[in-house]
Amino acid sequence: MRELNEVLQDWEAVIGLEIHTELTTLETKMFCGCKLSHDDEPNTHVCPVCLGLPGALPVPNRRAIEYIVKAGLATNCEIQKHSMFYRKHYFYPDMAKNFQTTQGPVAFCMHGRLDLEVSGRGAEERPACAFGAAEAESLASASAGAVGLSASMARDLPEGAGQRGRSQLSQPSHAQAESADLGTNDLAPAASALAGLASYDTASLAVPERRDDGSYTVPIRILRIHMEEDAAKMVHVGGEEGRIGGATESLIDYNRCGTPLIELVTEPDLRTPEEARLFMEKLRRIFLTLGISDCSMEKGSMRCDGNVSLRRRGSTKLGTKTELKNLNSFKALHDGLAYEICRQAEVLEEGGEIYQETRHWEPSRKRTVVMRTKETADDYRFFPDPDLAPFDLTDEFIDHCRAELPELPDAKRDRYERDFGIKRADAEQLAGDPDSGAFFEEAAAGMTGKAAQTVANLIVNELAGYLNARGPEATVATCGIAPTQVAALARLLAEDAVSSNQAHEVFELMAASGEDPERIVDERGMRQVNDTEALQAVVDTVLARCAEQAQQYRDGNQKVLGFLVGQCMRESKGSGNPKLFNELLRNSLS
Amino acid sequence: MALSENDVRAIADYARIALEGEELAQMTSYMNDAVSMLEPVLAYDLPDVEPTFHPIGSLSNVMRGDAEDAERGFTIDEALGNAASSRDRSFRVPSILGEEE
Amino acid sequence: MPSFDALSAREISAGIAAGSFTATEVTRAALEAIDAREPQIQAFLEVTPELALERARRIDEARAKGAALPPLAGVPLAIKDNMNLTGTHTTCASRMLESYESPYTATCVARMLAAGCIPVGKANMDEFAFGSSTDTSAFHPTNNPWDTERVPGGSSGGSAAAVAAGEVPLALGSDTGGSIRQPAALCGVVGMKPTYGAVSRYGVVAFGSSLDQVGPFGRSVEDVALAMDALVAGGHDPFDSTSQDVAPRFAEQAGTDIAGKRVGIIPAFMEAEGLTSEVRAAVESAASELAAAGAELVDVDLPHLAAAIAAYYVIGPAEAFSNLARFDGIRYGYQEPDCATLAAQSALSRAHGFGAEAKRRQMLGAYLLSSGVYDKYYYAAQKARTLITEDYRRAFEQVDVILMPASPRTAFKHGEISDPTQMYLADLFTISINIAGNGGITVPLGLGAESGLPVAAQLVAPAFKDERLIAFGSALEQAYAGKVGVWGEVAAMHGAGAPVAPVYAGKGGEL
Repeated sequence: MRELNEVLQDWEAVIGLEIHTELTTLETKMFCGCKLSHDDEPNTHVCPVCLGLPGALPVPNRRAIEYIVKAGLATNCEIQKHSMFYRKHYFYPDMAKNFQTTQGPVAFCMHGRLDLEVSGRGAEERPACAFGAAEAESLASASAGAVGLSASMARDLPEGAGQRGRSQLSQPSHAQAESADLGTNDLAPAASALAGLASYDTASLAVPERRDDGSYTVPIRILRIHMEEDAAKMVHVGGEEGRIGGATESLIDYNRCGTPLIELVTEPDLRTPEEARLFMEKLRRIFLTLGISDCSMEKGSMRCDGNVSLRRRGSTKLGTKTELKNLNSFKALHDGLAYEICRQAEVLEEGGEIYQETRHWEPSRKRTVVMRTKETADDYRFFPDPDLAPFDLTDEFIDHCRAELPELPDAKRDRYERDFGIKRADAEQLAGDPDSGAFFEEAAAGMTGKAAQTVANLIVNELAGYLNARGPEATVATCGIAPTQVAALARLLAEDAVSSNQAHEVFELMAASGEDPERIVDERGMRQVNDTEALQAVVDTVLARCAEQAQQYRDGNQKVLGFLVGQCMRESKGSGNPKLFNELLRNSLS
Repeated sequence: MALSENDVRAIADYARIALEGEELAQMTSYMNDAVSMLEPVLAYDLPDVEPTFHPIGSLSNVMRGDAEDAERGFTIDEALGNAASSRDRSFRVPSILGEEE
Repeated sequence: MPSFDALSAREISAGIAAGSFTATEVTRAALEAIDAREPQIQAFLEVTPELALERARRIDEARAKGAALPPLAGVPLAIKDNMNLTGTHTTCASRMLESYESPYTATCVARMLAAGCIPVGKANMDEFAFGSSTDTSAFHPTNNPWDTERVPGGSSGGSAAAVAAGEVPLALGSDTGGSIRQPAALCGVVGMKPTYGAVSRYGVVAFGSSLDQVGPFGRSVEDVALAMDALVAGGHDPFDSTSQDVAPRFAEQAGTDIAGKRVGIIPAFMEAEGLTSEVRAAVESAASELAAAGAELVDVDLPHLAAAIAAYYVIGPAEAFSNLARFDGIRYGYQEPDCATLAAQSALSRAHGFGAEAKRRQMLGAYLLSSGVYDKYYYAAQKARTLITEDYRRAFEQVDVILMPASPRTAFKHGEISDPTQMYLADLFTISINIAGNGGITVPLGLGAESGLPVAAQLVAPAFKDERLIAFGSALEQAYAGKVGVWGEVAAMHGAGAPVAPVYAGKGGEL
């Protein structure tokens, strides 16, 4: 198989994501008062409603509706005042009623958008040909026109209508290309059911342009975010590694059944695996900031499926897509998509055909394998759930949600950049995690420029490294390190009282002992010597001993200076300021 | 267009209702009778009439607070009490894919 | 003392409060009456003497302590077997749930018990409420107390028969297309379907979620009104999103003057095909009686009524398929033994757990919701629903209530109607208000001139104006109370309200 970068020169990858997020920070389930279960014994948190007992009825969790409205507001969606819950039928025991309660053609949140900033090496995945006018055409033809139907959405579009609206809207190309996948009662009326909705302002979508540093910004449209309920967990017994194949029986635990779940569906606007990864990261930062979920890909509270198809550069006709599962980490999302793009390219280049199918990413073997082929459309027999009253959200309700919105990561990043004067990349990272951001703001209070940047460096490098080493349970909030301690360490660095190497050591000692950095530095005699007279004596000693290297420097070998600085550091037992040594050496040798 | 026995078998497969012996023929005959009885409703598919999904007038936005309802929660014995097969604390089902060939 | 079946619900609770007899004595009498009458009637699937006597003991203790008694203290109650009550089975008259033990209690049942009712047992029904005869019960048919060769109607046939046979003064039923009003008509008792949302559906095994409504049976309009007050007391049920607040002011409507009020008559209904002449004559005489009581008769038109049956048999089966999908034999219900795969287990559990009609309705529903078909039928049906609702709204601009037949004919014989689609036409007069959502009440009018079996009229009120059903129902009841011969030879035996079927009156159950 060819490399991704090569493949993307010839082929355009059209990628859409479906992202499920459990609202783990709620107290109770979507339609009943059972506590949300995290790591409990099987079937601890179940009641007549979430076990689907005869006669039980659902009542929606107000806070869950508030959360999805917040998610929509934070991703620039239009909040739909009128919507309904629908029943989506499929016989599988992980859904206690054999139908899932979800939303119909109109979701609480429709037609949103996030702008992705792509920079660094990841930006190279998008080839030069995918900018400017070519990209404008690509966007217009890959997205489902003004109505914005993607296949994944169409699956959730049951609102069949008596209104014979088929001719009211020309069928969008994307939907046509994927019409074989329409697991819906009928697609066309769905389009007509949406006809009244305001759709994307496509004209305002910026076409990505590459900047001098290779970075670019690309708008990714969000088709919808809808509210639904999670399924039960099943354990397959008797097969290999808990796989369903070969299992002799399966055990069902309904603790998770009924957990509030929001599903976000993007338009197929992503063009590289890196963009997909960045989108997921960005969304995760937003949801974390909103406080609606712990967003753990590892624990499955945030899950992502990818749809990908290829078309020749310049072509406006969409190819057949495959759906990718098991993309359970940012790396898996990137690598799985990259593999699948290369695989499809190879098949197509050999004259083969892509089949509409669901494929499973196997990270250990770095390949995707077929899970199931979709020969026929799934027929979920959607219809509006008569047990649930429709929603007509009031302005008051939506305003209340808006008022509760915290500062979002992009705005926070811009503020950090503007007010603290720190680097954009660091600002982005700090702003993306509410705990880190709060820690930074406290530690860097009143600072700007270099001082604030030093604080940022310590958090982004030292604190993050320290937490990573301690495993997933360690958090900024619980690690025991105070912002004041980091601020003090930053001051020591700014005063050149410690070197950055020493700062690392001080940080470790501080984290371990809880002592203040000044005290650590003083008690251990780590304070950096900045007295030029004392340092000059060290320089003289070193130059006397290393006459040969001194001569090499004078003969033009600049590299040897590093060796001499090292000798000075050793001579001073690490206490000298390396920058000053550098300076003094140059002077002495000139 | 009348439903064939094949159509009816496909619906039965979907609805997880095994039709045995004469049942398929009887069901097919019933389905066709019933569907023809429903024909009059097609006349009401009028463009300027809104469908009514909920016969409850203006009722909307019915929600509950996000508070635990421990009273309705089941003990494990209550939860599994009506299940024909269970193992430890879980409901049990036989092999989902069956013997692989 | 005579048999307890001569007493109304109000008389029983008043007697207990006054100390004339105890709740335990009443309960024992009811259990004896059930013992004596059940061999012929078979109204119950389960009789619950221990539960009943325990409840009765608590009421007697409360009275002994001088506590105020709830309004229906000590009144024996039959509960349709699609309603959960812990300590009982809830079988829906299906093999599927033959051994199902209720893990919780339905709100409607809890409210009746809170009002002091004594749960004496679970009443027979058509399987999962699919039917108009109670013959589709998987366990046994129920016999009409006025003629045991005939059906009691359905689907709440057990509840209606238990009241008509004097086994209980009150029973709960559920009505999706006429399942309270039609058996009430066939058994000669009062049966009321309130407006959708007036009574909580929580804990009542769903058939058609947008159509189902719980309501009471009694032998008098006043008893039904008392039961309604108990059912709506407490208002909106937080466990049912579709339930609404209704004021418990039904009983006070009994006996109010209807002079000057307007009663609608639908001429097309009176000429409907299948309406027997004796039922038509009875409904016409009821109209005359209301006019005699001072009401004005006004012809009204409901132009889209013809769509009701077709709309019902789209919406009903679609919702039924969905609601019954959960019966897969895993969490509860019949499970086919020794299946190698889940698919086989599900398909065979459902094939052998459900009876023929339950399978037919689900198959029809699965078809109607399928891709392409849904678009064609479901929307049309829901639009017909809009039109029918609008018809009623307009008619009620002219009139306070509408008078119409409840059932086109009197009770038929077991097995007389074998074609399921023919059976569906029995719901001709009852279905439209399940579609529109408003309430109706069946009021017995005595015995038919030809059949000698109970005949009845139905009153229909606007949505959430169900108290009018009590006012007009009791006016009708009073008009017939004093008439000789209406109930044949038993007319003299009681005042207001319908008599216990004469063969069973006083059989066991002495107080």
